[in-house]
Amino acid sequence: MVSINYSSREVCCKIVFYGPGLSGKTTNLQYVHSKVPHNSRGKLISLATEADRTLYFDFLPINIGSINGFTAKFQLYTVPGQVYYNATRKLVLRGVDGIVFVADSQVDKMDENIESLLNLEDNLVEYGYSIEEIPVVIQYNKRDLPNVLSVEQLNGQLNKRGWPTFEASATIGNGVFDTLKLIIKLVLDKAKSTGTSRMKPVSASASFERPGDSQKLAVINPHESGRVPVEASHSASGRVAVEPAAIAGPIASTGSPYRPYPGSEPSAPVVRPAPAVTGEPARSYEAQVTPTAAPAVHGQANEEITNRGHSPQMAPSLKRRVEPKKRGFFKRLFGIK
Amino acid sequence: MSGDTLVIYEEEITRIDALLTRMLKGAEAKCALLVDKDGHLITRQGFTHSLDTTALAALLAGAFASTKEIARLVGEPEFSVLFHQGKKDHIHMSIVGERSILVVIFDDRTTIGMVRLYAKETSQELAKIFEQILSKPESENKAGISGDFAALANDRLDDIFQD
Repeated sequence: MVSINYSSREVCCKIVFYGPGLSGKTTNLQYVHSKVPHNSRGKLISLATEADRTLYFDFLPINIGSINGFTAKFQLYTVPGQVYYNATRKLVLRGVDGIVFVADSQVDKMDENIESLLNLEDNLVEYGYSIEEIPVVIQYNKRDLPNVLSVEQLNGQLNKRGWPTFEASATIGNGVFDTLKLIIKLVLDKAKSTGTSRMKPVSASASFERPGDSQKLAVINPHESGRVPVEASHSASGRVAVEPAAIAGPIASTGSPYRPYPGSEPSAPVVRPAPAVTGEPARSYEAQVTPTAAPAVHGQANEEITNRGHSPQMAPSLKRRVEPKKRGFFKRLFGIK
Repeated sequence: MSGDTLVIYEEEITRIDALLTRMLKGAEAKCALLVDKDGHLITRQGFTHSLDTTALAALLAGAFASTKEIARLVGEPEFSVLFHQGKKDHIHMSIVGERSILVVIFDDRTTIGMVRLYAKETSQELAKIFEQILSKPESENKAGISGDFAALANDRLDDIFQD
């Protein structure tokens, strides 16, 4: 479901790339990860086998910045395409808001495409979802290969519901962003039209933070505006109404609409013209970027999960054990006070 | 998609945060996260600033989901507690109500027994809060995605998604 955080003014959606094995779902995410500015995306996490086949899921968070006072965030997931990973594939669909079905255009892959599409419907039904209610975009991938079916043939077999389709070559990036833009648009349109029956305002704490920014340990992060009583006023119904000026403290006072994700590479901040959105002051990100914000692992095309060691910034024990000081042996021996 | 709605108000979040803080102090743990089963972070307390909590929430929810499926295969409704032991840091996960997971990260300054004790107590209290939240009548949540949000988002996407 679309998650709306009224306190920190965030909208979070889950988009799943579904499709048969080796159709290019992970490649889609890798391309997005490689092309999106580092301060608009997080780390690409791949839970893959030794042979680089997806075992559980790939995960890429995207942050497109503040719109009408709400920071829009999208969590992109892929599923393992291989038939025998259905148990894990089904788990990824939980709470899905939009689906990109990545079909392999090659002639000999049609059966796998159909099987995967049927499997998608079955798995959605198991969660009580209906494929009719969820925005779906079909991406006909691998159009650059020679032995592919025509779009009409693919539509005839796979697109009986008239979903929007795109031709793509994920390895070189053709059609990848078009697909993603459309599914995001459909998800937001759907969320708007369904009102709030599936929306979930939650607390401020889901905001992003940079690893290593330990300076904020002792203070309330002003980005978490819902936690700052002076910035939030309780309405009659009890919900916190946050004034635009109080939204996302450091963001609101800075020049870029983008807030970097944890794990994104530090570099010169990209200064973009602030969008002309009512109620949003001009912003700049320079003030927030410090060399200490450098993460241990720099973003690469396909980053693995890093085993985060015990950081020296981790705080000491909350409760110190103070033991009474023992008197010295000779002092006790000779009764010296 | 799933029709269930969860509306958490600020006062409830304050109560949840207070419970988590009390648990952290009692159990001498490092930090606690409250994660939705869909993989979204609800709230966090303690020393989380060196953690990528977004990715952590997604992975923990994934781990819990797969464990639930394992439980189903062996004939259990679900495993309510999950424990990962590391060399220095350890993770204790327990289920809260129907849809949330309480995650406690701790090290050798405390023991699994203490964490389990406090986490169990806190889970029960959190579950009560969630029950109250769910029993509240749905209010007029009309704010949020409205008006030209989708159109503005589209313009922004053109800016970000450039080949």
